[in-house]
Amino acid sequence: MSLEDYRRDIEGCSRCSSCKWVPYNQIKSWRFSKNCPSIYRHNFHTYSGSGRMVIGLSLMEGRAELDETVAEMIFRCQLCGACDSACKTYRDDIDISEVLLELRSYCVESGELLVEHMAVIDSLKREGNSLGELKTARGDWARGLDVKDVNSETCDVLFHAGCRYSYDPDARETVRGDIQLLRSAGLDIGVAGVEEACCGGRAYELGYRGEASNYADDVLNRVKSSGAGTLVTACSDCYSHFQYIYPKIGKELPVEVLHVSQVMDRLIDNGRLDFKHELPLSVTYHDPCHLGRKGEPFTGVWTGDKLDRPMSLKRSGRKGIYDAPRNLLYAMPGVELVEMERIREYAWCCGAGGGVLEAFPDFSASTTVERIEEALATGAEALVTACPWCLRVFKDAVDQTSADLEVYDLADLALISAGVAQPASV
Amino acid sequence: MISDEAYKELEEAVGVDNVSRHPAVLDSYAFQPFENHESMPWCPRPVAVALPSTTQEVSEVIKACNRHNLKHKAFSTGWGLWCGPTTDDVVQIDLRRMNRIVEIDEKNMFAVIEPYVCGAQLQAEAMKVGLNTHIIGAGPNCSPLASATSMHGVGHDSIYMSYSARNVLGLEWVMPTGEVTRLGAPGSGKGWFCGDGPGPSLRGTMRGYTGALGGMGVFTRVALKLYNWPGPPEIESTGTVVDVMSEVPDCLRIFGCFFPDKDRLADAYYDIGEAEIGYNCLKVATPAFMMILAPHLFKKLKGTENLRRLLGGTLGQMFLIILAGISREDLDHQVDVLKAIVDEHLGFVLDAKNIPTLGSNLAMNFIRATMPALVFRIGGSFSTALGRNDSLDTQLAWGEAIAEIKRGYAKKEMIIDDMGDNPYFVPYENNTWAHCEVVYPYDHRSEKHLAGSSAINMDFIINAIESCMEPMFGVVPSARKVLSPLTSNFNRWQRKLSEALDPDQTSDKGFYTDEAEFDFTNVPPERVERLQKLVEDLTWTELGPPE
Repeated sequence: MSLEDYRRDIEGCSRCSSCKWVPYNQIKSWRFSKNCPSIYRHNFHTYSGSGRMVIGLSLMEGRAELDETVAEMIFRCQLCGACDSACKTYRDDIDISEVLLELRSYCVESGELLVEHMAVIDSLKREGNSLGELKTARGDWARGLDVKDVNSETCDVLFHAGCRYSYDPDARETVRGDIQLLRSAGLDIGVAGVEEACCGGRAYELGYRGEASNYADDVLNRVKSSGAGTLVTACSDCYSHFQYIYPKIGKELPVEVLHVSQVMDRLIDNGRLDFKHELPLSVTYHDPCHLGRKGEPFTGVWTGDKLDRPMSLKRSGRKGIYDAPRNLLYAMPGVELVEMERIREYAWCCGAGGGVLEAFPDFSASTTVERIEEALATGAEALVTACPWCLRVFKDAVDQTSADLEVYDLADLALISAGVAQPASV
Repeated sequence: MISDEAYKELEEAVGVDNVSRHPAVLDSYAFQPFENHESMPWCPRPVAVALPSTTQEVSEVIKACNRHNLKHKAFSTGWGLWCGPTTDDVVQIDLRRMNRIVEIDEKNMFAVIEPYVCGAQLQAEAMKVGLNTHIIGAGPNCSPLASATSMHGVGHDSIYMSYSARNVLGLEWVMPTGEVTRLGAPGSGKGWFCGDGPGPSLRGTMRGYTGALGGMGVFTRVALKLYNWPGPPEIESTGTVVDVMSEVPDCLRIFGCFFPDKDRLADAYYDIGEAEIGYNCLKVATPAFMMILAPHLFKKLKGTENLRRLLGGTLGQMFLIILAGISREDLDHQVDVLKAIVDEHLGFVLDAKNIPTLGSNLAMNFIRATMPALVFRIGGSFSTALGRNDSLDTQLAWGEAIAEIKRGYAKKEMIIDDMGDNPYFVPYENNTWAHCEVVYPYDHRSEKHLAGSSAINMDFIINAIESCMEPMFGVVPSARKVLSPLTSNFNRWQRKLSEALDPDQTSDKGFYTDEAEFDFTNVPPERVERLQKLVEDLTWTELGPPE
């Protein structure tokens, strides 16, 4: 696909600005009624979903030229997908998220690159991760765990940790706990350790499609050789890429793909996991974009007139993973869930996605602070999420702003409630 | 092009981060496809875009424009061709940063807001204190300030809250010269409670009938009347639009009222107006309503004549009405009155209380007016046939006349068949008056549809003239040129006002007073001749209307 393939989507925009707002029936206040971090920060219409589509049209028609400034306009976006979900409350025939991805690819193919993104890609090529860490340390997180090595053994369930969980010291314990919990529930789990590499999704989002394809091949081969019937990941980014980007680029994984919260939810349902430890805590839950609206599975390409596209092929954001994480919170004794105003497919982004954290840290941070303020407005004691990228930026923002708010990974609370981890930190 | 000197002055006015002349930024403002019947969705590209955050900054921007012989054009939420420039020397003033609800005065029931507050935001905040705001039919994405000051503005709630211009209680206005003035009570510094003063009255000065559509300076603050909201501070809902499910508050009852024919429907409307009941009311074109909810299904079914007759005929003369009571007794009384009226006119009611999922879906969608933009689902775009305001009977006749024209174009596949007259039809002023915009879906990416648009609009105009109807949407320069001489030369008066308040003509007046020749390329010659004959016969003279 190319930008030109989405010309009809772009020309279909009516400029109603629905892409800038929480779906109107869900606007509960003046304060938290916006949905797009980019235009919230930069204000010109250009920085909205609609505005970026117009950039595409302007470039295609030769009215504007791609230069450094235009590339920056294109990349100052977390690709959170809120514009797309909001637009689709009214439109069946416009896929803004796809246009945004094509714009990035167009930039890369035209040589308009961001230095910070090139560093990410360089790290991917050299070390197999997006964080600039050493490949040799990739498997350290699993050291000492009683878990199968899929490089030499087969297993039922392949666990993919992802870059952030593998390297971030604040997140490693979470995935170690995940493994312990899933094993205690009787699952036959394996990990790739040092051989695990990035899922490649971040490369795809930055517009580097060749690299994304290579990493998808790597995961695909590992899944096949592991003998697993299920791929589980704790990382929402990886989950989205496995579910959507991989099949879209012809690398569909031949196994069931689950986020760890879904696995835990199932284990509770069939009685293999029990939350028995009291956690007296009021929490609010942040839907990660990549687990929520961008966690919808790929359902195929519609080549006809999108006005006639079956609803089953429309990526509305509603079929993301919203209930499983909440079910876990509801199942934890003592935990009270207080919802923020912007949730589910209209949740506000954490700020980390789309290469913004790497290239525009100030913009990323202001987006994060906005979410922290929304969490504080609920009166909850803690902000819980199910993505290591969200977790990282939330923790940093709370540290920097001294906000009176704890930040937890959902899995950490699950581990404590299940008795797998000690409740010292809660 | 804008000179470096002029651009520097804009930077000084709003800050360097809040002004741009980059072509890609400018193009995002030149893209205005809605109600744009050209083959490309562009309007003239502005020479710069400025984002002021205060009234003072707006004033500085306008003064800078005046010093450099540039025009200015402001918009709030920015939906529609009329929001964009009409010439190539315009600075677009995007009021997005002026987004504050300055005040909600619970006791005196009004709100003071800035231009970029949208209807949904104001309603959400008003409901928290037991009040509600008028939301226009275009939807809650639109700016109540823009509608109240610069356009007409009816909505589902007009039966209770009338139309936008009726609700203005005070105004802050940056004139085309850059001077700041306040009209209504705020003009005397006595608060924002009354449009007639103490202080200069805003009636007739702020706007004419339709509004200047951005052609007369910039409105920066407005006080809007708020209305009683007997419901909870927030209507608990899940879902977004089509799938929304709400907890219907006990103070509301929702009814579909069906009548055997148009006359009985009209009589019921009048009686409801006399009884002064109703909180929200919309005439629903049943088949088109079904089509926006399930476009795929109904595209397949629209050839089914029996279904067409059932939905468009038997179930065609209906409106949906929401009653709101301040007490159980009040609500029961209204329900009794409604049922008696419907009964008297041989209709029947469908009580949403007996179909909970229907009521649950409609409550929020109607109170917040979130459904109209679903018309996009049919063809990707839509337009309306000369939205207008007149006595309710006349409006019903207009709806029928337009439906006939629509059917002809749908048959030729020059618009999309939505199975019927699809009016945006709301009663107001005690239901003696009504607004009717007959919607027709089309795809603006289709050359055939675009070719049809000028022809169908010509037919609408001719029909309006032949039926002695007042075509409100004569805002397009070519339509204005034709219609003004037949309608008391309204544009001559608008020009006088414009020249008085904007002596250097610095506001972009394309949608206010400019006139242009019609492009008759796609209009059949006999229709052109018919129009010319009508113009010849009906043009007003200096003495008044023709004999």
